[in-house]
Amino acid sequence: MATTLTLRNPGTLLPGTVAATTEGPLVRWLLTGIAALFLGLFLLLPLTMVFASALAKGLTVYVESLREPDALAAIRLTLLAAAIAVPANVVFGVAAAWAIGKFDFFGKSLLITLIDLPFAVSPVVSGLIYVLLFGLQGVLGPWLAAHDIKIIFAVPGIVLATIFVTFPFVARELIPLIQAQGSEEEEAALTLGASGWRTFFHVTLPNVKWGLLYGVILCNARAMGEFGAVSVVSGHIRGRTNTMPLHIEILYNEYQFVPAFAVASLLALLALLTLFVKSFIEWRSKQQLAELEAATAEKGPS
Amino acid sequence: MSIAAVGITKRFGPFTALDNIDLSIPSGELVALLGPSGSGKTTLLRIIAGLEFADSGTVRFDGSDITDQSARERRVGFVFQHYALFRHMTVFENIAFGLRVRPRKLRPAKNEIERRVKDLLSLIQLENLAHRYPAQLSGGQRQRVALARALAVEPSVLLLDEPFGALDAKVRVELRRWLRQLHDEIHITSVFVTHDQEEALEVADRVVVMNQGHIEQVGSPDEVYNCPATPFVYRFLGNVNLFHGRIDEGQTYLHDAVDPGRAASHNGSKTVYVRPHWLEIRRQPNDENHFRATIKHINSAGPVVKVEAVSEWGSPVHIELSQERFRDLQLTRNEAVFVTPKEVKVFDADPAA
Repeated sequence: MATTLTLRNPGTLLPGTVAATTEGPLVRWLLTGIAALFLGLFLLLPLTMVFASALAKGLTVYVESLREPDALAAIRLTLLAAAIAVPANVVFGVAAAWAIGKFDFFGKSLLITLIDLPFAVSPVVSGLIYVLLFGLQGVLGPWLAAHDIKIIFAVPGIVLATIFVTFPFVARELIPLIQAQGSEEEEAALTLGASGWRTFFHVTLPNVKWGLLYGVILCNARAMGEFGAVSVVSGHIRGRTNTMPLHIEILYNEYQFVPAFAVASLLALLALLTLFVKSFIEWRSKQQLAELEAATAEKGPS
Repeated sequence: MSIAAVGITKRFGPFTALDNIDLSIPSGELVALLGPSGSGKTTLLRIIAGLEFADSGTVRFDGSDITDQSARERRVGFVFQHYALFRHMTVFENIAFGLRVRPRKLRPAKNEIERRVKDLLSLIQLENLAHRYPAQLSGGQRQRVALARALAVEPSVLLLDEPFGALDAKVRVELRRWLRQLHDEIHITSVFVTHDQEEALEVADRVVVMNQGHIEQVGSPDEVYNCPATPFVYRFLGNVNLFHGRIDEGQTYLHDAVDPGRAASHNGSKTVYVRPHWLEIRRQPNDENHFRATIKHINSAGPVVKVEAVSEWGSPVHIELSQERFRDLQLTRNEAVFVTPKEVKVFDADPAA
């Protein structure tokens, strides 16, 4: 008798068959139910509450709260900090990932560990580092004061703290990707006469673009949402050194719930947008990875 | 363009990959660097390409020293084992890459690039796949694209690193014959690395057999196969039976057991190599030139019948005979037979063997 073998994904089953590892319907529904309940209670409900509270007194009040000068200043400052921090970390992250992924050098593992440092320390400590460095009583404080340069309780401090906290996102996303891809394509480009820059922009970068974009998205979300480190260095000067998260906290402490939630809803919207873009990119890079794996599988034993 | 490597030494930490290698490749030849993994063949190829730099020694193209030139300046075509195609570019873009990255002054016009790529596509017989991505191609197609990409820049030499290593057996044979034909057409000096002796013997004009960072022998496929210079070359270029024997008064003895009467030889102990197809199985003892063996296993699937036997002194013996001879003999398992070596190769006892 002739038998036809159909290849299928390991995860899918022929209709009518039951995998050995599956559970009965009761257990399945129960587990799914618990997960759904948790999601609803701890994620969906608060998120709805943010928007509900923001719009509690109608759309006009909502828009008014956002157009208020201090709120606008906070939004501007947040955008400014992100606009500086994200490109800075993209440049750093790509350079570090390139160096770590393509070359062996002394102190490589130390560099990898250092990149993770901002994740390891509390954001408050991150902020304090800058206060201790650049503050009036800090190491460089007197010199800065003498030259009339303000870093702490001013915009530069906020930008520095934001860069520090969002430092690892791009690099960590790219390092494993670049390591996995090896350097054969770069070598091929080199033998074909391409310069280093040409190779980087036409071969290396296109191969990691989805990973890079993913890192940028996460980096941006964190840069706009950062509270702890920025709070320490900002000094909370309304209209001047308040970012959106800081502004929200002040409003909330003053019982101005609607304006507080109105600004908060902007951050929440940003989060939703980030998640949407993130899952799109994940989907794309998964596709790319599958192609890569298919290509690798065909290589066979070497 | 001729290639010369003079006194090349390369170390990776404590490991010596290449130990004072001298090799010259005449213009227009297709040369195979053959050896087991770790023999330094790929390292040598990469040093010729400028992807790796030797600790000492020089590389010359047509007599001029290019040791300090980068891969970019050497104008070599390099084909990688795993193709290394640019995965985000189409077949067309891949092949055009080397032309498009040229400085503006040297870059051909757009329609000229297009014409060249189309010529190469027809050379590799993939005209209608120009707009596919590498992921959509089979392994054999990818390797042909990689070859076209390397040829697009009109390189002075073509270097191929295990070009067929990642392909399955059938495609491998097809593609290597195709490469041979291609070389007969375009006569570009080519060097390819392989660990497959069959591939090297079939495709190359000359074979360079390498082992542990040394060159064991350089010669035509016929020379290295039929007149191996060292036991290693003999062992590496095909299956072989190895016997510890000795030479006594001009006579070769496969094993002391063949002639137990004599004392240890004054001519010193030797290692005797016999290819499986140079062993003949007989039912009857012929003159004195034979030993007894017991058949343990018979594999008759394939062009030749492979017989595994155990010699009278207990070592395994591999024998190959034609299907015809096998039918005549009607061999069965556990049968005792007489084995006659028709042709042997004797080297001084090799302590490593």
